[in-house]
Amino acid sequence: MSIAAVKKTTLKPKDYKSDVSVVWCPGCGHYGILNAIYRALSEAGVDPSQLISISGIGCSSRSPYFINSYKMHTLHGRAGPVATGAQLARPDLAILVLGGDGDGFSIGGGHMPHMARKNVDMTYVLFDNGIYGLTKGQYSPTSRPEMKAYTTPYGGPEEPMNPLLYMLTYGATYVAQAFAGKPSVCAELIKGGLEHRGFSYINIYSQCPSFNKIDTIEFYRDLVEAVPKDHDVTDLGAAINLARQSSEGRAPMGLLYKADRPTLDQRMHAMVEGVNGRPDYDLNQIIDLNRP
Amino acid sequence: MEKKDLVIRIAGEGGEGVISTGDFIAAACARAGQEVYTFKTFPAEIKGGYAMYQVRTSLDPLFNQGDTFDILCAFNGEAYEVNRHRLVPGTAFVYDYPAGDFEPEIPDGVIAYPIPMSQTAKDMKSYRSKNMVALGALSALFNINEKTLIEVLIDKFKSKGPENLSFNLEAFHKGKELAAALGKKDLWRVADPVPAKDVLIISGNDAVGLGAILGGIRFYSAYPITPATEIAKFVAVHIPKVMGTLIQAEDEIASISQVLGASYAGKRAMTATSGPGLSLMGEMLGMASMSETPVLVVDVQRGGPGTGMPTKHEQSDLFLAIHGSHGDAPRIVMAVEDVGDCIHMTVEALNLAEHYQCPVILLSDGSLAFSTQTVPAPKPGAVKIVERKRWDGTGEYKRYQASPDGISPMADPGTPQGMHVATGLEHGPAGAPNHSPPNHEAMHRKRFGKLKTVVDFVAPTQVDGEGQADVGIIAWGSTIGVVREAVARLRADGIKVKGFYPKLMYPMPVAHYEAFAATCNKILVPEVNFQGQLSHFIRAETAIMPISMTICGGVPFTPIQIMNKVREIL
Repeated sequence: MSIAAVKKTTLKPKDYKSDVSVVWCPGCGHYGILNAIYRALSEAGVDPSQLISISGIGCSSRSPYFINSYKMHTLHGRAGPVATGAQLARPDLAILVLGGDGDGFSIGGGHMPHMARKNVDMTYVLFDNGIYGLTKGQYSPTSRPEMKAYTTPYGGPEEPMNPLLYMLTYGATYVAQAFAGKPSVCAELIKGGLEHRGFSYINIYSQCPSFNKIDTIEFYRDLVEAVPKDHDVTDLGAAINLARQSSEGRAPMGLLYKADRPTLDQRMHAMVEGVNGRPDYDLNQIIDLNRP
Repeated sequence: MEKKDLVIRIAGEGGEGVISTGDFIAAACARAGQEVYTFKTFPAEIKGGYAMYQVRTSLDPLFNQGDTFDILCAFNGEAYEVNRHRLVPGTAFVYDYPAGDFEPEIPDGVIAYPIPMSQTAKDMKSYRSKNMVALGALSALFNINEKTLIEVLIDKFKSKGPENLSFNLEAFHKGKELAAALGKKDLWRVADPVPAKDVLIISGNDAVGLGAILGGIRFYSAYPITPATEIAKFVAVHIPKVMGTLIQAEDEIASISQVLGASYAGKRAMTATSGPGLSLMGEMLGMASMSETPVLVVDVQRGGPGTGMPTKHEQSDLFLAIHGSHGDAPRIVMAVEDVGDCIHMTVEALNLAEHYQCPVILLSDGSLAFSTQTVPAPKPGAVKIVERKRWDGTGEYKRYQASPDGISPMADPGTPQGMHVATGLEHGPAGAPNHSPPNHEAMHRKRFGKLKTVVDFVAPTQVDGEGQADVGIIAWGSTIGVVREAVARLRADGIKVKGFYPKLMYPMPVAHYEAFAATCNKILVPEVNFQGQLSHFIRAETAIMPISMTICGGVPFTPIQIMNKVREIL
């Protein structure tokens, strides 16, 4: 959400913590991302009553419980369309979607292209740990084939997907990537997503010390590489070239792409204006169209 | 004696004007003060294929499409072949001859009116006016009011230019003259006009759309599916006028998810679909039960399972509507009888969802989807809107706090201090996850317990008849209309029969069923599905042992079928 219109406050990061205790394993990257979210909300000045945090199912999908805001903890894979409905119903509020790689790209994968191309005004933070943690370690759409896991005892038979390339291709208007070990970078990119009007996608690598034994904190630290200072974030081709590096053993960190395009709710609003919509529209006019 | 309750069936190839001819007759009859009930079938193909439109009209109320047609108007050989077995003595048969593509055999007693429809259109150098020739002939032969018919044609064609209108009127008058030259030889005649009533003529699908707008929806999301898509079409035209939003989702899982999100955000929200879509929505309906979020799903049933028979009628989603979710997932299920119900029960279903904070499924069916009927025009000022209970902003807010009626106030996002979670996990009063045995049981009691009063919130059932009867017929959905007529005709023949018509399917109003059954020696349950789905629920939840009567050929019952069965089991 462009939070320009949302009621502002001057809360500290800790004021965005709810009273539900966090339940992740020690050493989990998600702690860093959650703290970055608190910081981003504080820096952006979002009033908790003006924010809906929405998730599906998974370790990271527990996040809304830990955030002081309106929140929905929905079904596996369905955070995106639930958030789309909430956003269209209340375009004056900020919408934050939080979830993992399995939730977003496997079971919920059918929804991702449509939120991106429709430019639904929300900020989607994807906690990418390359594993299903809540079900104790199965390979996910972003797992590397060399990973031996619960259902891949001999290694994975599949190539991982590239979330950034996917989002750029489908038309997301704010695409960024970070690493949970760099919480200040995460916070800055999430804040940027909240301030962007349109579909903001932030992919954040997050180590899972319990189940993903190959994508360690050290692995991610070596993998990520800051987006070059001279990168033009309005150049889709350049962004796609950066995103492709993820398939070549390096991964860009920072903002890759940002575009201004009308959001779905803006286009819906234009339709209302086009027919002179009013809350007190005379319904007899609709009834009369159905007379013989 | 003249017969003034008559059924005109027009049949031909899709694209020949079969549907518009039927629409013109229906509108003209309604404008002349007649009741109208139409029924149509159309091919699964986009172009071509067999199309049929049937208009039943009478001065008396109509509840169904009739036993069969009294007048057949055949545009081509296929229309004749499909319907020839129903050309019984007394039937009037209007057909394209000579120079049509067929030469029918006229059975004894059938009154034939050969009209050179194609030839006349060809002479006018416009094949498209063939149906206007037929319309003129039908008007002259069966007293379809010419004044109102011409008014309808003017309204229809005026936007297409004066030339187009005069051309069509010329074809209409030629048809009239051709028929007049043949002379009237049958008994079928539409009654003379009476003052027009304050009615709409509207299809079941459009009526659901109208009910949705009258019922105050501000959000609608759906995915295209036969035979429900026209509801979205209607709503799409009108919802921006009331500052609402319609979105076409990427699939039915997304559409119900979007509805849930919009409802949480405080808006009256709904979707409509058919069986396959409702199957996909099952998990999210359970989420709505668990998170106590109001959602309305209209299911326009079609032939199943799998892809089934998408354009055909069936009442086979009752099991799915009542129990289609994992876990113990309470919801309210209602079923409409006719097009009038499609309007006011959509309003009622929205009110139920908002009041009880749960999913509501409203069942319509393929025979109502495209059936147009005359219905009293609704008055917006008389529509009762029930809002959800909202938090008053005082004290500490707990979303799922226990209350005497089980209903806990909701807080719209944006409300200061109202922050809470809507969750699919089992939860305690404040929404935090809670998997303790006593909590799960208490929350089940809350979610199911609040539905105990639904039976008082709506008119759950109707009883047709008084005193003791030999046979009581329990019918639901559009089968009710057929049974109403069967009951009236059997009673006129001196048979003691009563009807019982549930509109609330779940929670099942058991006391109403049992009170009715106590007045009948035998209970017959006709329904259009293979398994006898309502019979199953009656056996499961009441002490009644019904006789199940099922058909599932993709078409509705006729009154005669019900009457014959009652006579058989007497």
